[in-house]
Amino acid sequence: MKLSFTYAFAVPNFSKWIKPSLVRNLHQSVCCYSLKSAPSTSLKPQIPLFLRPPTHTATLSDLKKWHEWAKSLASSVGTAFVDLDNGPDSSLLCRELKWLMEDVTKDCLLPCQIPSEKLQGNVGLRVSLEDLYRLWNQRIEERRPFQYIVGCEYWRDLVLCVEEGVLIPRPETEQIVDMVADVVSDNEGLRKGLWVDLGTGSGAIAIGIGKILKSWGRVIATDLSPLALAVAAFNVQRYDLQDIIELRQGSWFEPLKDSEGKLAGIISNPPYIPSSHISGLQAEVGRHEPVIALDGGVDGTDDLLHLCKGAASMLKPGGFFAFETNGEEQCKRLVDYMETDAGDSFLSVKIMPDFAGIHRFVTGFRK
Amino acid sequence: MEGLVRPLYSSSTILSPKPTNSSVPLPIQLLPLKPISSTLSLSTKLPLPSRSPPYVLYATQESQVSEVVNNETREWAMQDFYSLRKDVETVSERVEEIRASAGLQQLEQELLALESKAADSSFWDDRARAQETLLALTDVKDKIKLLTEFKTKVEDAETIINLTEEMDSSIDSGLLEEANSIIKELNKAIDRFELTELLSGPYDKEGAVISITAGAGGTDAQDWADMLLRMYVRWGEKQRYKTRVAEKSPGEEAGIKSATIEVEGRYAYGYLSGEKGTHRIVRQSPFNAKGLRQTSFSGVEVMPLLPEESLNVEIPEEDLDISFSRAGGKGGQNVNKVETAVRITHIPTGVTVRCTEERSQLANKIKALSRLKAKLLVIAEEQRASEIKQIRGEAVKAEWGQQIRNYVFHPYKLVKDVRTGLETSDVAAVMDGELEPFIKAYLKYKYSMAMSSPSV
Repeated sequence: MKLSFTYAFAVPNFSKWIKPSLVRNLHQSVCCYSLKSAPSTSLKPQIPLFLRPPTHTATLSDLKKWHEWAKSLASSVGTAFVDLDNGPDSSLLCRELKWLMEDVTKDCLLPCQIPSEKLQGNVGLRVSLEDLYRLWNQRIEERRPFQYIVGCEYWRDLVLCVEEGVLIPRPETEQIVDMVADVVSDNEGLRKGLWVDLGTGSGAIAIGIGKILKSWGRVIATDLSPLALAVAAFNVQRYDLQDIIELRQGSWFEPLKDSEGKLAGIISNPPYIPSSHISGLQAEVGRHEPVIALDGGVDGTDDLLHLCKGAASMLKPGGFFAFETNGEEQCKRLVDYMETDAGDSFLSVKIMPDFAGIHRFVTGFRK
Repeated sequence: MEGLVRPLYSSSTILSPKPTNSSVPLPIQLLPLKPISSTLSLSTKLPLPSRSPPYVLYATQESQVSEVVNNETREWAMQDFYSLRKDVETVSERVEEIRASAGLQQLEQELLALESKAADSSFWDDRARAQETLLALTDVKDKIKLLTEFKTKVEDAETIINLTEEMDSSIDSGLLEEANSIIKELNKAIDRFELTELLSGPYDKEGAVISITAGAGGTDAQDWADMLLRMYVRWGEKQRYKTRVAEKSPGEEAGIKSATIEVEGRYAYGYLSGEKGTHRIVRQSPFNAKGLRQTSFSGVEVMPLLPEESLNVEIPEEDLDISFSRAGGKGGQNVNKVETAVRITHIPTGVTVRCTEERSQLANKIKALSRLKAKLLVIAEEQRASEIKQIRGEAVKAEWGQQIRNYVFHPYKLVKDVRTGLETSDVAAVMDGELEPFIKAYLKYKYSMAMSSPSV
């Protein structure tokens, strides 16, 4: 079944009023936010905190009280989470708290900017004070990821909306976009071609690439999850890239049968964590992020190998691919496959390290 | 003391270039530099300093000058006259002050030296040098002419006042109008002269990034750093600059280990650059049960806040060591941490910047890179200055690491700037951001130092 997402999940007029540049000035228009015009089958993405109207108020002294409570809760963590599962320590939690304040207060208040002598005044909030208590409690007690709390993730120069059920884009993955930028910088054929981001999730890679290709090229982003596609659609509209990026639902290459042998580039950050590791993951990841976006089978390479196989037939000659992996072992496995099992299909297959020096990506070209 | 604290400018509002609240009419405007309207008598006689930036700020507040005159038939009451007389006195003092601080005598000596050079028979042997000398000559001549104009104009106004006083029965309103407009224009011209003279450094008109670092001394020093942070934030707010605490790392018990403030607005760097150095506090320690007297230090570093596109410094990629904070473990999908810090080291100079305040790694990298560039630019600029001084054989004092100002809270109250000697006992006001007297005194000091070492 082929499902053209552009129509199924169309959210008319989004781009008219939710543009990143307007983000801080949104008021009434978001109040009236509704998806009435969208088909009833579509999913409604959650609005991140920073895009909500500041319809709540609290006194500065109450907000400060909350902030002090939240801070002491964060401090009480110490290194407990680090010791438990390499989770965040107090100082990282305090940084998150600062950003939460930024997102939730009307004038992006920073904790240090609350003057002690002006505690009588009111401040506009995008959620109620009770919700703030609840949210921060979830952060600490349930280890709910900060990005799900605020509903967004800062990634490259983008602010991407995310929610439960959609993988939070990782900083490592930012590099994939740079690799694409490098490749297309001196190759017009690729710049004007059709690119795909398989398992797009929030749409991060597709949007990153879409911004580089501009109107020269086109990107198709696929995902199995309708919710992920709804969130990706929201993000694509926010960056006004709906003319460049098309969203399609389905597993890996399935929705792309019409493009066999025509693709200029295949990019993916597929699930790659070995099944046995899932239970030991950092609580923010293991307990809250979608397993379908993490679990890559017994040794974690089920989907990666599927993508490698598909790349040979889907890419046009000279086409580029880049896949993110779990590390050195998987990289070697992939290169091994590309160079032996895949016959003579690929050239300049390379392993690229991430910023921490871990062998993270495998890239190469179709012959 | 009183004389020292008196502002150098006619009105302190000259320090507030960025009106943020439009509902309050502010006595300050950002105007393009253009000839003053031809109806004003001074317009053609006051050539602008040749080094003027394309835009200058000047205070349009004429509090010292009597009300704006609507028409010539206005009746001059005695009180208007007295007020005008006072204005003339004030401007006269200003003119004297500026003539002294601009080093008029030195300028005249310089002029003689340059003229005798130009008259030398071998002058044109080296064309490039001759050109340079001639340019310098024009510069000096222009400046002297301007300073002389100030003097003649103020004398004109004084003459009118004296005349009017002598014939006290009849007041010639036409003459007084003329004096009034002379004073008005003179104030403007002096404002402009001062600004262009005092703030003519290459980055002076930019915004500023202030970095405060607590010195050795534990909690006391960290508390002191926090006090300085508040002081500069207050100063910025008072000047109506857009002031933002970009980064703050708290101390263990109290205060801060370090903080970064971004001050956006015209001339912020020019004003703040003199704050760079070590600031020393003497007080009874609040963190010490015995309340012993304690001395602490904090370092303040000031860099221009340059817009990304203006940083046309090309740093070769291989000169940079960029490291990202590592979330630890396997990374990638395995980890979710908001650790996005980026540290960049410029290998040839060892200059390092770290950026943590942005929420994505790329954003931190871009910001760190632009801070690094700004830092390298300043270093290059200082290097050039110190090279010039070395050639001249003067002793160079290291600016960084030298204590520039003392803040004594106990056993007496005194803030004293080591360089300018300016002091005040109102410690509380200074800590509340009343820094203008110190800033202006330093600018003046810097200017007179530059003047006393010819042709920089």
